[in-house]
Amino acid sequence: MSEDILKNSQSLKICHLYPEVLNLYGDRGNIKCLSQRLAWRGIDCTVDQCHLGEKKDLSQYDIFFIGGGQDFEQEVLLADLKSGKGDEIKSAIADGKVFLCICGGYQMMGHYYETHDGVKCEFLGAVDFYTKGGDTRMIGNYAFECGVESGGSTIVGFENHSGKTYLGKDVSPLGTVLAGFGNNGEDHTEGIRYKNVFGTYSHGPVLPKNPAFADTLIKTALERKYGSFLLEPLSDKFEKAAHEKILQQVLSHTTSGD
Amino acid sequence: MHKKHSKIRIFLSVAACRFTRFALRVLHRGGTTLPGRSAMFFDKTILEVVSRDMEIIVVTGTNGKTTTCSMLRHALASAKINVLSNLSGANLLTGITAEFTANASLLGHPKKHYAIVECDEGALRKVVPYLNPKCIIVTNLFRDQLDRYGEVMHTHDVIAKGIKLVPKTKLVLNADDSLTASLGENVPNPVEYYGINVPYGKQEMGEISDAKYCIHCGTEYKYNYHTYAHLGDFYCPKCGYKRQTPSIAVTAIDKIGAHGSVVTSSINGKETSLHVGLPALYNVYNALAAVTAFDAAGFNKKYILRSLSQETSSFGRMETFNYKNTDMQMILVKNPAGCNQSISYMTSLGEDYTGVFCLNDKTADGHDISWIWDADHEFVAEDPHCKHIFVWGTRSEDMQLRLKYAGVPEEMITRVETPQELIDACADAGRPTFILPNYTSMIELRAVLGEATGKKEFWKEQA
Repeated sequence: MSEDILKNSQSLKICHLYPEVLNLYGDRGNIKCLSQRLAWRGIDCTVDQCHLGEKKDLSQYDIFFIGGGQDFEQEVLLADLKSGKGDEIKSAIADGKVFLCICGGYQMMGHYYETHDGVKCEFLGAVDFYTKGGDTRMIGNYAFECGVESGGSTIVGFENHSGKTYLGKDVSPLGTVLAGFGNNGEDHTEGIRYKNVFGTYSHGPVLPKNPAFADTLIKTALERKYGSFLLEPLSDKFEKAAHEKILQQVLSHTTSGD
Repeated sequence: MHKKHSKIRIFLSVAACRFTRFALRVLHRGGTTLPGRSAMFFDKTILEVVSRDMEIIVVTGTNGKTTTCSMLRHALASAKINVLSNLSGANLLTGITAEFTANASLLGHPKKHYAIVECDEGALRKVVPYLNPKCIIVTNLFRDQLDRYGEVMHTHDVIAKGIKLVPKTKLVLNADDSLTASLGENVPNPVEYYGINVPYGKQEMGEISDAKYCIHCGTEYKYNYHTYAHLGDFYCPKCGYKRQTPSIAVTAIDKIGAHGSVVTSSINGKETSLHVGLPALYNVYNALAAVTAFDAAGFNKKYILRSLSQETSSFGRMETFNYKNTDMQMILVKNPAGCNQSISYMTSLGEDYTGVFCLNDKTADGHDISWIWDADHEFVAEDPHCKHIFVWGTRSEDMQLRLKYAGVPEEMITRVETPQELIDACADAGRPTFILPNYTSMIELRAVLGEATGKKEFWKEQA
């Protein structure tokens, strides 16, 4: 019985940043995945949303999630980031909090986005990288292998971006592309890993069918909060089936037809 | 006639189109891409010739195109008007070209005077300059097949580009959809709006909205009431952009039932009871669109008001089959908004059922299936009447995973490999079955179900 009491004393707080704006591609699947996988292990989890213009004490959260959005809507939130929330995000990063940043939300962590006619849009600059607009769309299912520091698992997902991202010297990629484009379609890197910021182009619901990656995020957050932590394994039958199906397809360069 | 259309080219074009279409049908295939391409091989802009002087209504928008077209077609048929129309799977330039070309004389003269054309949003601007339609209906705009269209604003913009090419065409627009309604601003075209003047359902917007912020100034919209998804009586508190008063509107919702709806409508100020022979609120919108366009095109409304009550499901949309004494209703779902509407219909009936979700990721569906995470499958998980779920399709593994995270226990979900296995399993379960497939899985499944129950193949259906 004492073990149960101990379990319940552990909890994580998740903050979904700008869910009303950055929600283009099934992003909420990631939040569902994190909270379910915690619940299945008896670990308490609360999810708060932080909207545009909303003032919240961001230091109380363990995991932050920021998704992808329409260009049209992305402009709306840059102003909000500059009004102080951006600084709070930067200190949370310095504090080792876990961030999962996807697509538009990933690009926004970098210094800037430069359109192909040379117009620079200043971003948060929390991590040393930048993105340049390209003229071809990098689109399709793809796969990459995470570095050991990010759990070493293979991730499958769907990328859809024309921006090409280039990393600064002290920033590692999240992984190495096995098939597909990744950050820029040139250097085989995909995403970023900087402190506990995980950025990726794998848009929308990347976590449900990459359970090992989901658990890496959870474990990182728990260890930061509670020291070393042994995460109870889950059966993951459906998760693995969905993962394997698309991994095989991507590695053999086939599609499901017309 | 324009110089580029020489008589010999027209002749070859029509002949090639007819021949390939005939050959495909002999081979029991219903394709339209090849006939369209063959026609365009000999005369790239043959569509302009074979639709000359016809009176045409074009229907575009994310959801409801096929049903709205079918409503218009049936109304015209009830007035004994012979009408040309394309099939839902053939709503790009090639498919539309094939339909018109195959129905022209070898000299390229159209054999029919009226046409109802379903047109893909992305193809609108390629098609309308040739068709020069009398009227364009835009049903609604939702996020849909992101890998093909990009974002919903992009779809909005390509439709606007199409409209710009035909400044005299009358526009029929959904007043309750802020995205669609804005297409009627600052254009020379005459515009008619339709909408629902009363609230319906839960008066809150779902977690996911496809149009939360003002299209003009980026401020969050406010609503006097909601109907479904982002539709309702919206207004922008900052710049003043707001819902237009519709000329054809629903003023009271009397009944939305499993077999149809009864509503009170106001048509240019005159109150009329409107019976729609199809379930769910979104079909009330489709009916309003059809009535408004029918009126705008100059037809007598009495025909469509009558035929709407007789309207039955069109291909794969609320179509019911009876296989081994089990009723199986098929509801095509292609995006979160449509899926949520179908789920709310299925869970509102109050009787035990088997749920089926079919998910393919073929090119026509879009390779990106992440939209399933934006639909509210949680309502199925919470519904005690849902007794078992089957999944099938090239991405059925993702579908069952989505359902698991929605809260459906793994043991309540069975994944099957073939459509035959699927319908047999549903028949064995013996409960009424609701099948929610996406596009190509619907086509495949319908062929099998049609064969098993003696319903015709789709391309034979119109004859």
